[in-house]
Amino acid sequence: MLAFIGRRISLALLILFGSTYLTYQLAAYSGDPLAAIRESTDPNKETIMRELTETLQLDVPPPARYFLWLQKALGLATGTPDFGNTVLLRLPVLDQIGAAIPMTIRLLTISTILAIVLGITFGVLSAIRQYSRLDYSLTFLSFLLFSLPIFWVAVLLKEYMAIQFNDFLAKPTIDLFSNLIIATILAVIITGFVSGTRKRVMITFGISFVSVFLIFFAAGATGWFRNPSLGIFGITLLGAACAVGFTHVFTGLANKKALGAGLTSVALGAIVYFPFGAIAGPGTNYALMVALAVLMLSSSYFVGYFFTKIDKGPVIRVSMLSAFFVSLFTVLEKLMQTWDTYYELSDGRPIQTMGSYNITLKSNDFWVINLDLLTHLILPTTALTLISFAGYLRYSRASVLEVLSMDYIRTARAKGMPEREVILRHALRNAMIPLTTLIAFDIAGLVGGAIITESVFGWRGMGSLANEAIVTQDLNLLMGTFSITAFLAVMATLAADLIYSTLDPRIRIRK
Amino acid sequence: MANLRKKKNPVEPMEGSETGSENIQVVGLSQGQIIRKRFFQHKPAVGGLIFMILFTIFVYSAAGIHLGTDQNKISIPGWWKYSHEDILPPGSCNTGCPSLDHPMGQLPNGRDYFSLVTRGSEISLMIMVVIGGLAGIIGTVMGSVSGFFGGMIDAVMMRFTDFIITVPVILIGAVIGYNLGNFGVLPLAVFLGLFSWTGLARLVRGEFLTLREREFVDAARVAGASNRRIIFKHILPNSVGVIIVSTTLLLSSSILIETGLSFLGFGVQPPDVSLGRLISDYQGEFIYAPWLFWWPGVIIVMIALSINFIGDGLRDAFDPRQSRRINRKDFLAKTSTRDAVNKRK
Repeated sequence: MLAFIGRRISLALLILFGSTYLTYQLAAYSGDPLAAIRESTDPNKETIMRELTETLQLDVPPPARYFLWLQKALGLATGTPDFGNTVLLRLPVLDQIGAAIPMTIRLLTISTILAIVLGITFGVLSAIRQYSRLDYSLTFLSFLLFSLPIFWVAVLLKEYMAIQFNDFLAKPTIDLFSNLIIATILAVIITGFVSGTRKRVMITFGISFVSVFLIFFAAGATGWFRNPSLGIFGITLLGAACAVGFTHVFTGLANKKALGAGLTSVALGAIVYFPFGAIAGPGTNYALMVALAVLMLSSSYFVGYFFTKIDKGPVIRVSMLSAFFVSLFTVLEKLMQTWDTYYELSDGRPIQTMGSYNITLKSNDFWVINLDLLTHLILPTTALTLISFAGYLRYSRASVLEVLSMDYIRTARAKGMPEREVILRHALRNAMIPLTTLIAFDIAGLVGGAIITESVFGWRGMGSLANEAIVTQDLNLLMGTFSITAFLAVMATLAADLIYSTLDPRIRIRK
Repeated sequence: MANLRKKKNPVEPMEGSETGSENIQVVGLSQGQIIRKRFFQHKPAVGGLIFMILFTIFVYSAAGIHLGTDQNKISIPGWWKYSHEDILPPGSCNTGCPSLDHPMGQLPNGRDYFSLVTRGSEISLMIMVVIGGLAGIIGTVMGSVSGFFGGMIDAVMMRFTDFIITVPVILIGAVIGYNLGNFGVLPLAVFLGLFSWTGLARLVRGEFLTLREREFVDAARVAGASNRRIIFKHILPNSVGVIIVSTTLLLSSSILIETGLSFLGFGVQPPDVSLGRLISDYQGEFIYAPWLFWWPGVIIVMIALSINFIGDGLRDAFDPRQSRRINRKDFLAKTSTRDAVNKRK
């Protein structure tokens, strides 16, 4: 095993050497870093050009210059890696990358997690209900999302999710006609998840149509979109709904212990609500938030642990998930309370189309600052989630379908195991193994950035650094960003192979 | 997806005759006929195919065919009255809204948008086919050689594939389209094709690795068949389904990659137009002239969607088992499209 890893790592280094070399040559021969200065009318153009030639060592031909770069980048002479300075502003490349990586991670984390969770959930659902209405609609949806260019989606989102929504917020009332349309669309979507007789489907449609209509009517009439709030009542209700839902999925409602544990966690969350409001004032910080989250999750773990004596796993899962969602709603409520302040601070344009945060934001309030980050995140996150969601949906669907046709599933069913157990305990665990490869690559991609998305939404992450490097023909910057992305890609391949063989003992690493 | 097909043909010779219990007289169908029949049962795929054929004919006949560089140009004019380079007087409304004379509107500088869109579609389609074709050929050759011979050859070729994966596509686009001056569209397409075959190669290799262990290959070898004969007569025909399906999917991802690159300004360079370039150039006009933004976008989505449906229909047609049971090969086919998704971000 160790020999295998060692050999693969040395091969990976060789590949990295080759690809950085090729990239360096391609980039070096393709552009002239002096072009911009050559065309300028600066009187001491000659001096600048001479200086640049010297600092960038342009007198050395690229095949040899690569080794000078490599020597510096590996820090062979000085002991510290040095990727050089950028051409335009003469800033160290490493500092630029250091600033860009957190940006990119912030941009991609939420969308990656959302895509994985939603994609797997719907993929599994689609596979379990193969050939149903839901399956066909999700399949069509995934095809459509696969065919969407992200830059096009981005422009549409900017127009409809940001500009028009902001206009709507200036006068947040919904007229009857649009409300009817919203209610119809949402009711169709909700009904899509219901199977069964025509009567049952129609009843579901009717109920969801009326309730969506009433909710939006009430929200419009009370100006909820300007002053949104869930209230302790709303949080408890939503939390209880989550608890019931998770119980239904993981153990079935007949399991009173799981239901009790979930509801207890929700009650715990509701009790914490008031002290939370007092503790988490404007001056709070991330450390306190993380501590509170850990406290909440660990206490819900013990709730689940002590609620039952047998088969603790699913009960703990239900309890912790309920606690997680109650905490999420509590934080959401806090953000909603800040919405009005933020609305005023952003001059009535709360959903942002460009950039990663508002530089001119005049506030020290923890919640306002975070709301600002979120309103900048919402568009790119939606766009990226839509694109990656389709992928996960299709893989998990294919994978679950494959597993469901296995003999051990037939055995499990034949011995009288309930279908829920068959799927959760036997099918899902095996179906998720191939997905680890994808997840490993996506996590490596977190740092690599998303070039198109970043440039459309004006984020200064790794993707836009690479973009900038190509436009300004900045070899140092390009090689800096590229080496890191390539390194992560190579490591992800290796990690995926190792994880795969650990999770699935049938796949052995060939010696 | 494989399962859009609702009903199965009850008397398919492949499944029906093997049960043997019923003595139904089945008219023999050749492999090609079976595949064709299954494909035409897949409604979305047939729709996609019809759309692609009609659209291609429409676009190429409207804009005409223009090949070569400025010095030696072969041009066959199309039936549309304007060329994408004509500067025309502004039409009846000053935002350049669509009219009978200009069905897709006009640009602020008076150009006819219909001719730009058809020309752009033409170029995007051409790039798509070149990338797909080239990547298909290289991927198949690399994958089959590496999978069939195994051992050292396999190891070297797979590491080479890993190496190609790490070279960023954006850089290729930038080098060819942006930095080196305008070489034209064809070199761009060729270079993109030279770096897009990796997913297919892995897939074909996997296919060859399984197939070469099968009994019929042993039988052929015992009968004295040469390696070349085994590859071309025995293994390749059995993996042609996987190759065709993933090449189709490669096509749909390559149009998205090309338009994405052009959108960033790295792919197709002016005076050439492409669908991605049109979106990039006129996204700022969205409020005043939304049709400038909608037309190219909708066309890209339609092309990609049709090709995805065709690919799905082909998958059903070539491997009927997959509509009931999806096996690992199929899963791998999807991981190769996964690369494409990542490139699109």
